[in-house]
Amino acid sequence: MKLEAFLERVYENNYKKLILVSLGLLVISLIILGINYFSTGAVIERDISLKGGISVTIEKEGLNEQEISSYLAQKFGNVNVRTLTELSTRKDMGLIIEASNVGEDELKAALKEKINFDESQYSSESYSSSFSESFYKQLVMVLLFAFILMAIVVAVTFRTFIPSLAVILAALIDILATLAIISLLHIQISAGGITAFLLVIGYSIDTDVLLTTKLIKRKIGTMYERFAQSVKTGLTMTITSIAAVFVGYLFSAASILKEIFLIIFIALIIDIITTYIGNGSILIWYIKNKKI
Amino acid sequence: MKLANLFSIRVIILILFILIALIAIHPSTNNEGVSIRSVDTNSSAAFAGISVALNAQPTSYERILEINGNKINSLSDYSSAIESDEEKLFITTNRGSYTLLNENIGLVVDKPASNNILKGLELQGGTRALIQPSEKLNEQQFQDLIDTMQNRLDVYGIKQLIIKRASDIGGNKYIIVEIAGATKSEVQELIGKQGKFEAKIGSEVVFEGGNKDVTFVCRNDGTCSGIRSCNEAQGGYQCQFEFQIKLSEEAAQKQADATKLLDTNVTESGYSYLEKPLDLYLDNNLVDSLNIASDLKGKAARDIVISGPGIGPNQEEALKDANANMKKLQTILITGALPTSLVIVKMDSISPTLGSTFEKNALTAALLAILAIALVIFIRYRKLSISLPMVFTSISEAFITLGLLTLMKYNLDLAAIAGIIAAVGTGVDDQVVITDEILSKESVNWKERYKKAFFIILTAYLTAVASMIPLLMAGVGLLKGFALATIIGVTVGVFVTRPAYANIIKVLLNE
Repeated sequence: MKLEAFLERVYENNYKKLILVSLGLLVISLIILGINYFSTGAVIERDISLKGGISVTIEKEGLNEQEISSYLAQKFGNVNVRTLTELSTRKDMGLIIEASNVGEDELKAALKEKINFDESQYSSESYSSSFSESFYKQLVMVLLFAFILMAIVVAVTFRTFIPSLAVILAALIDILATLAIISLLHIQISAGGITAFLLVIGYSIDTDVLLTTKLIKRKIGTMYERFAQSVKTGLTMTITSIAAVFVGYLFSAASILKEIFLIIFIALIIDIITTYIGNGSILIWYIKNKKI
Repeated sequence: MKLANLFSIRVIILILFILIALIAIHPSTNNEGVSIRSVDTNSSAAFAGISVALNAQPTSYERILEINGNKINSLSDYSSAIESDEEKLFITTNRGSYTLLNENIGLVVDKPASNNILKGLELQGGTRALIQPSEKLNEQQFQDLIDTMQNRLDVYGIKQLIIKRASDIGGNKYIIVEIAGATKSEVQELIGKQGKFEAKIGSEVVFEGGNKDVTFVCRNDGTCSGIRSCNEAQGGYQCQFEFQIKLSEEAAQKQADATKLLDTNVTESGYSYLEKPLDLYLDNNLVDSLNIASDLKGKAARDIVISGPGIGPNQEEALKDANANMKKLQTILITGALPTSLVIVKMDSISPTLGSTFEKNALTAALLAILAIALVIFIRYRKLSISLPMVFTSISEAFITLGLLTLMKYNLDLAAIAGIIAAVGTGVDDQVVITDEILSKESVNWKERYKKAFFIILTAYLTAVASMIPLLMAGVGLLKGFALATIIGVTVGVFVTRPAYANIIKVLLNE
């Protein structure tokens, strides 16, 4: 069966219901983030770069994450221990330890007791909490600014209310649903992670702008033929990006890169739903009402 | 298909940009020996005429090839060569030969660079501190602060450092200090503290650190500075350092005035001292108290011996500590206090091995990501005439971005690498749009198809660039690399590589 015939069968009688799928995603995300907010006071967990604290990397093979983690937890309470791995060689390269309630010297001394490492294997990052707090606020402002700017560009480009709103709504759902998933996975977000959301805005509207242009501004062929064309092009775009960030996530060692790739990966999968099921259905509804 | 059609103006512009990037990055296979990164002033290397140009590119550093007839192929070759007992070193470099005395050589060497890409801290290892003055400073004070810091690190002997200003959206001013070779504690001691040195008799300050009061500080000269004694003390060892300084006339006079009215005490062993000692304070902590010989009463003595302790669990550690404390105090006496106390708000130290791991790994990850893209593209179009130009375009986009960052002397960090990958990602998206527009039978006119594609691309481009601009400044520019690389990458993409790509596949798809 040809793609346009398939799309016509799926969307022709169901587009109103399909809009609800996308809106349902929005509601679920808001509920998850809301629960986070009321139970912990924040919609998402921040890492030490955004709340202050220290991160230590010890580059040494064969360290026992479990053992060190329980040892440090006993001593200092809430300490986050991860293994630094290089997936291409499947080699564990060491440990990353993050804590926000202990000084560096104290933490280093405690680690020295348990692990035999020398200075060349030791790397650290520390952030004062007041600096991190203002850093976080600034990044959130940047993200909001970028979102508003995107909304203006979209509105100016299409100059029609519903289609512009649909594009902006899709980007909003992409961001909120990704945040919700990140929080369910208990991933602490870092400064790099917030910038990943800037990219999410970009990747999100790419496919939406394509879809909207094809459906509303172009006149050649039937609506479903044009829909099919933009699904083909848009899915190729999204799948190449998904492949790239997935590979990037698997093979990079630096945690900032891993985090950026993971966030974009999740957002791109969400974006397939919001673009073709959500935005697509809204546009079909709009076209049918306007009889374009 | 005519091959000449392939070389349209758009393609020529692309080739031009690739050439510029190539020249900027300057990949070099000439990498025998070790490269000279800096030369200390007044060292025997400087006397022999070795120098490093101020703005030298990494690949143009002079390289040491031979020392005393032994080939130098690695840093360990170099260190064993200079540790030899030979009195003189005959050094052959790629530019000439030098003869120098084998003492106080004063060379900092490194592995030769294989290209001109400047590696940021995360990729080469080192310490970075983000420092905030604890009071609001005016422009002049802020400059003084930076100058004093620079001077202090210089006097202490730290080379290869970057001190730069930064500010955030809220208008707060910061200083970023990046040092390749220093340890965290050294940086903390040298610039994290104000370094206010005061010598007091009773409650009166007689002199302070800095060249107004202290005209000379003896260093690296055993006759007037060094460790004088080591003793067992309180379950460990304590060593005492001493060095001579010379006071200015005013400071000496102040001291004379302060001692004029003091009484003399005589100790059991028969020495006679003034009733109050000279107390040395560093950042308001007492470092040492020196008894003043009674014959100095009321005299404007200009030569003063400063002393202080160093402690450790054994003698070796105590000696090390005393030496470090002495060096620190000498530095502070020479350079004076910073205009205000400081807060280190962020501090990173990355070991060189972790840095090089990150570097190799990021490169592999980026290449594998491009391969993954190529695979998806090939599956979709099943034509090498589409997927090969696309991969070529993506790689050249990343390469040109890297070249332009190098040209701007930007220190490449992980955030910038992420930005390049992101730009290449959006680039591929746009190429897919172009390809599908060109393949579609929608409009007869090629130009029109192309225009349609660029409408979509330009919208996405404007959004991307605009959203990155505030990130250039936010959070003291910590994520500047990301924003900069993304902006450069997408701009190169939209105006250089993608027009060329459209042209290439138009020709290849037989128009």
